[in-house]
Amino acid sequence: MTQAVIETVNLGKVHFSNFLRKRFQALDQLSLTIGKGETFGLLGLNGAGKTTTLKLLLGLLRPTTGEVKVLGYDAGHVKALARVGFLPEAPYFYSYLSAQEFLDFSGRLFALPEKQRKERAKELLELVGLTDAAKRPIGKFSKGMMQRLGIAQSLLNDPELIFWDEPTSGLDPIGRRDVRTILHRLKSEGKTIFFNSHLLPDVSEVCDRIGILNRGRLIYQGKVSDITAGGNYLKLEDFFLSTIQEAEANHKKGSS
Amino acid sequence: MHAVNAVMTIALNTLRETVRDRVLYAFLLFAFILTLAGIVLGSLSVGQNLRILIDLGLATISIFGGIIAIFVGTALVYKEIEKRTIYLIVTKPIKRWQFVLGKFLGLAICLLIVTILMGSFLVALAWYMSPDQKVNFDLVYSLPLIYLELLFITAIATFFSTFATPMMSVVFTLGAWLIGHLGQSLLALAQITESASTKLILKTAYWVMPDLAKLTLVRSDLTSGVNPGSELITYLVAYIMAYIVFLLALSTLITERREFP
Repeated sequence: MTQAVIETVNLGKVHFSNFLRKRFQALDQLSLTIGKGETFGLLGLNGAGKTTTLKLLLGLLRPTTGEVKVLGYDAGHVKALARVGFLPEAPYFYSYLSAQEFLDFSGRLFALPEKQRKERAKELLELVGLTDAAKRPIGKFSKGMMQRLGIAQSLLNDPELIFWDEPTSGLDPIGRRDVRTILHRLKSEGKTIFFNSHLLPDVSEVCDRIGILNRGRLIYQGKVSDITAGGNYLKLEDFFLSTIQEAEANHKKGSS
Repeated sequence: MHAVNAVMTIALNTLRETVRDRVLYAFLLFAFILTLAGIVLGSLSVGQNLRILIDLGLATISIFGGIIAIFVGTALVYKEIEKRTIYLIVTKPIKRWQFVLGKFLGLAICLLIVTILMGSFLVALAWYMSPDQKVNFDLVYSLPLIYLELLFITAIATFFSTFATPMMSVVFTLGAWLIGHLGQSLLALAQITESASTKLILKTAYWVMPDLAKLTLVRSDLTSGVNPGSELITYLVAYIMAYIVFLLALSTLITERREFP
C-alpha cells in the first residue's frame, strides 16, 4: 500500500445517554489504513457506526479508546483540516446566505485569496449544476440542491482527502449520476476518498476497497474487485447481506 | 494573520445574520419611537424637557441594546449546534477559540452600529431641543459606557450559549444583568437578612458580578456635567473588560472540549 492517509488503531467510541448514563458502544476496535489515492467505501446498516467513524476522523468526536491519524496529524488538527473536504449527511447551511455567499464564506475560512475564491466558487457551482441558483437564498433550496451545495463546498480547497457522508442522499437519478461522475473525476485526479453509503451500485462502481461495519465493529474489509468480478454490483449486494446476516447470527448466538 | 482572517470571517457572517433578521429592525423601530416619546414626556415637565429626553433616550439605548444582546447572544453558539451548521465550520481549518471570538465580535459590531445609530438620533434630538442649539457632549461621553455594558451582556450570553438552551440562557443572562444592576442593594439586603445561607448567596452574587449600578451612576454623573473622576471610570472599564475576557476564555474552554455528535 502507498503512504497512509488515514490510520486508526483500535479506535472506539462509547456514547452515554444524558440521563441514566446508559452506555452505547458506537464503535469498537476499528483498525483501518487508507492509502493515498484510494477510494474507500464504508458500508453498514443504519446505526452501524459509519457516521461516528467519520466524525472521529474529523475531530467532531473524541475517541474513547485507540488512536487516529489523518494526513499524519491527530484528528481535527487544523493542518489536516486545511487539506480535507467534508460533506456531512444531509448538510445544513445558513438559510440567509446565497450559495455564492456561502462558498465565499467557506473560502475565507480556508484563507483562499479573493480571486481564487470567486473562480473556484463559479467553477464548483457549475460542476454541481447550481449556476442558475447561485444568488438564491439557501433557505429556498430543495434537499437535492443542498446536497449539491454540500458537495461544492467540500471541494473548495481542492482537498487531498475527501470525506463524504451519504453523498447521494436526497438526489434524484440525474443527481446520483452527476455525483458518480464527480467521484470518477476526483479519483482520476489522485484524491483520497472516504465515503459512507447505502447505495451499493455506487460503491461497486467507484470504490477500490470497502469496509463493512456492524454494531460498531468492522466485520469485513477488502478489495471490491475481489467481490464483484466482472463489475456486477449484485454480487456486492449479496456479499454485503450475507456478511451482515452472518454477523447478526453470531451476535444472537453470543448474547443468548 | 490567518487567525485574524478566521475570526473576522465568522464575525462578519454573524453580523450579516443579525442584520438580515427582521426582528432587529422591529426592536430598533420601537426604540426610536420610545426615544421620540421623550419629547412628549419632556413637554409635560417644567423646565426639565431636555433632561427627560436624554434620560429616557439613554435608558432606551441601554435596555433595547441589552434585549438585542440577550436574544441574539444566547443563540449564538447553540443555534449553530442545533441547526448543525457547526459541522461545516469546525471542520474547516479554524480553531475553536477563533469561532467563539468571531461569534462574539459579530454581535459586538452589530451592537456598536445600534449604539451609534440610536446615540446619533438622541444627540440630534437633544441638539434640536436645547435652547442654544448646542451639541451635548456629556451625552456623547456616556454612550461608550452603555456599549461596554452591552459587551458585558453579550459575553455572558455567549458563555451560556455554549452549553445551555437559548431559553435557559435568556433566564441566566437576564438574571446576571439584574444582579449586576442591584449592586450595593445586594450587600444591604445581606446585612438585614437573618438566614446565613441567603446572606452568603447575596454576598457571593455581589462579589461575583460586576457592579453595573455603579456604571449607571457614572453615566448619570457624566450626562449631568459632573466629573465622576477618571480613576473610577478606568477602574470600572478595566474591571468589566477583564470580566469579558474571562467569560470568553471560559466559553472557548467549553467549546474546545465539546463534541458534536
